[in-house]
Amino acid sequence: MKQQIILEVKGVNKSFPGVKALDNVSMEVRRGEVHALLGENGAGKSTLMKILAGVYQPDSGEIFIRGRKVVLDNPKTSRDMGIGMVHQELHLNPHQTVMENIFMGREPSGKLGFINGKYLYKQTEDILNKLEMKMKPNQKVGELSIAEQQMVEIAKAISLDADLIIMDEPTSSVTEEEREVLFSTINRLRKQGVAIIYISHRMEEIFEIADRATIMRDGQTIETRDLDENVTIDEIISSMVGRKISYVSHQRKNPSDDVVLSVKNLTREGVCYDINFDLKYGEILGIAGLVGAGRTEIMRCIFGLDKKDTGTIMIEGKECNIKSPKDAIDLGIGFVTEDRKMEGLVLSLSVGKNITMSILERLSKFNFINDKKAVDLAKEYIERLSIRTPSHKQIVENLSGGNQQKVVIAKWLLTQPKVLILDEPTRGIDVGAKNEIYRLMNQLSERGIGIIMISSELPEILRMSDRILVIKEGRITASFDSSECSQERIMKHAL
Amino acid sequence: METIRKQVKGGQGKSINGHLRKVLNEYGLLVVIILFIIPVSIITPVFLTPNNLINVLLQLTVLGALSVGQTFVILSGGGGIDLSVGSVLAFSAVIGAGLIMYQGLPVAVGVIVTLAIGLGIGLINGLIVTRIRISPLICTLAIMTAVRGGVMIYTGGADIIGLPRSYTALVTGGVGPISYAIILVILMFVVADIVLKKTKYGRQLYAVGGNEHAALVSGINVKRIRMIAYAISGFCSAIAGLILTARLYTAGPRAGVGMELSVVSAVVIGGTSLSGGIGKIFGTVLGVIILSIIDNVTNLLAVPPAYVQTFKGIIILLAAIIDRFRTADK
Repeated sequence: MKQQIILEVKGVNKSFPGVKALDNVSMEVRRGEVHALLGENGAGKSTLMKILAGVYQPDSGEIFIRGRKVVLDNPKTSRDMGIGMVHQELHLNPHQTVMENIFMGREPSGKLGFINGKYLYKQTEDILNKLEMKMKPNQKVGELSIAEQQMVEIAKAISLDADLIIMDEPTSSVTEEEREVLFSTINRLRKQGVAIIYISHRMEEIFEIADRATIMRDGQTIETRDLDENVTIDEIISSMVGRKISYVSHQRKNPSDDVVLSVKNLTREGVCYDINFDLKYGEILGIAGLVGAGRTEIMRCIFGLDKKDTGTIMIEGKECNIKSPKDAIDLGIGFVTEDRKMEGLVLSLSVGKNITMSILERLSKFNFINDKKAVDLAKEYIERLSIRTPSHKQIVENLSGGNQQKVVIAKWLLTQPKVLILDEPTRGIDVGAKNEIYRLMNQLSERGIGIIMISSELPEILRMSDRILVIKEGRITASFDSSECSQERIMKHAL
Repeated sequence: METIRKQVKGGQGKSINGHLRKVLNEYGLLVVIILFIIPVSIITPVFLTPNNLINVLLQLTVLGALSVGQTFVILSGGGGIDLSVGSVLAFSAVIGAGLIMYQGLPVAVGVIVTLAIGLGIGLINGLIVTRIRISPLICTLAIMTAVRGGVMIYTGGADIIGLPRSYTALVTGGVGPISYAIILVILMFVVADIVLKKTKYGRQLYAVGGNEHAALVSGINVKRIRMIAYAISGFCSAIAGLILTARLYTAGPRAGVGMELSVVSAVVIGGTSLSGGIGKIFGTVLGVIILSIIDNVTNLLAVPPAYVQTFKGIIILLAAIIDRFRTADK
């Protein structure tokens, strides 16, 4: 018996300025199945899910729900069509009760606006019973575990008569036992005919819970496979990583044998444990691992943004006590942070002022800034990094992502770093700008600067690194020379 | 190429609408002031007489001095606001005046103590906000209340009167018809403008207010920058205390009550964003002038205070709405 198809996506395209996020994407989801959606970061999974949730509109293509063509033009339409979302970050009010959260915005009330408490309680109880959830309707959500809070989100979706629920990394922050509870709920939903689109990076988990998997890469749907005993994790991973368009790669110029940065036994409780590595002059060290594995956090400890519990950091063989970013900068460390807008730039200030922000000390005498020198330096770096801006006075917010990133890098180059940490340096920028950043990295490494690059894009890590460390749950699980490394090997140690 | 063109356009304002917005941004308040002055000077010819204008200037010195410090605090971001200014004004002034009048200490000592107290309380505000991380609103509200209590305790609710001439000369003396107090406040504005535009501290203050995370990563000592802003505000409050005392020949326990609201209004009307990082001293000057002219004119016209209040409220709301639109298109 062929199962009824609940959702069909046909030839959907979606572009953002400079990026083709979805390219002729098609998939179908059957009633009562758990359908995994797999792909690397940036493969297009979240764009597709946002289209299904009515947040984005596709440029072209069709979506059918229960065989009927639909236009999901806003989140409410999507909800009315029976699509429920359980987000990675929970959208619940921890100060209110389970029932208040489930019926938020549509509380049962009488003519005068008084809430019918008994009815609310009863309704919630019915839903919880149906899903065999143990919590009480009048329990405060803040008192529940993360997994239980996810259950509340699921219950909310069910209360809205959702028969397709999208779960985005639902197990990313839950314990082993909580995961079991979640899975038994998913199994119950499946039996009741609810379809689930399940997004996760954890392969074992996918094989445990999902019936089929659709694999995405570079904005395209590569294939949909039944997850039976004939499929192996390795097959799925190689399908995920595939081949990519051509990018600049790192020419190895025999980095010197002298160590510029040495990290020993670095530990910060709950974040990273016993981190040891050396970085040589002119070396590019790639840091691979899943989002949330602790890669950024390790760098924050090294840079003095977070306190380390134990461990030593040595620059050029000398032990140093880094207590603040200022100490790190003075010692010759630069940190191009992951989030340009949050931590890299002051968006309300000009390109020039952003570029010279971390060297004001050097530019001022008796506290007065030497304006001419500042402007000259800004202009010089705008030219050297070919930052496309009408002038140094342009407010940085008006630049494109790639050019903003170059402003951040310019800022750090001015500090004359010996070590430059780049955290996801090419996230959210287009192919051309990516290649410019790669070329820049090559130039810097030729000049002897030691570079640490955190990246979630495995091909990028493989192309640009001399050596690769893999981080999992705050620990280094593997260290490869990039010539002997492959995406599959990295993934095995990252998962 | 396409992106470059877009950026160029974005940077220079894309239409008449954009130009208008830019003009409004830069000179809007000036236009408002002029539009306001024209009918006013027709209705009350007294307004434009030199005597009255100097009176306006003298009246605005206290508000002006306070607004300099407040601009720094609001620019520093993180919900920065200093509600304690009125109380600090009174406290520093009565202690200084008390030392002169009751202890018989020289005027210079009284003045220095006044300034030191202002600076000190400002530093305490700064320390509480940055080190214990209490929200500026709550911290300065608490300090405002406590310090006002201190004023009452010290004075027993009575005015300290009869300050010597060498003290009151700050207001009564001057260059020609221009009182020293006016010159002092103008000087404060100029210095503040230079600090904000030309110095490392000023640049870092904008960075901290605009994006404290980016500032921190760039090696800026965010806490120190913010703390200094509160210290400056305290110091400015003490200067305002000196001016007010000199003007009234009296250090009164109720001096500066409710002042914090006028000061915050002046700064916000002047275009400084309450979220920090955006604003200029020149804007604050205009904000102060607007509020002072309203006071003066309504006084000349003998408008009942209740109406003045309502009118001021509307002006503040309008300023906030303009600010909202200005930030909304980003």
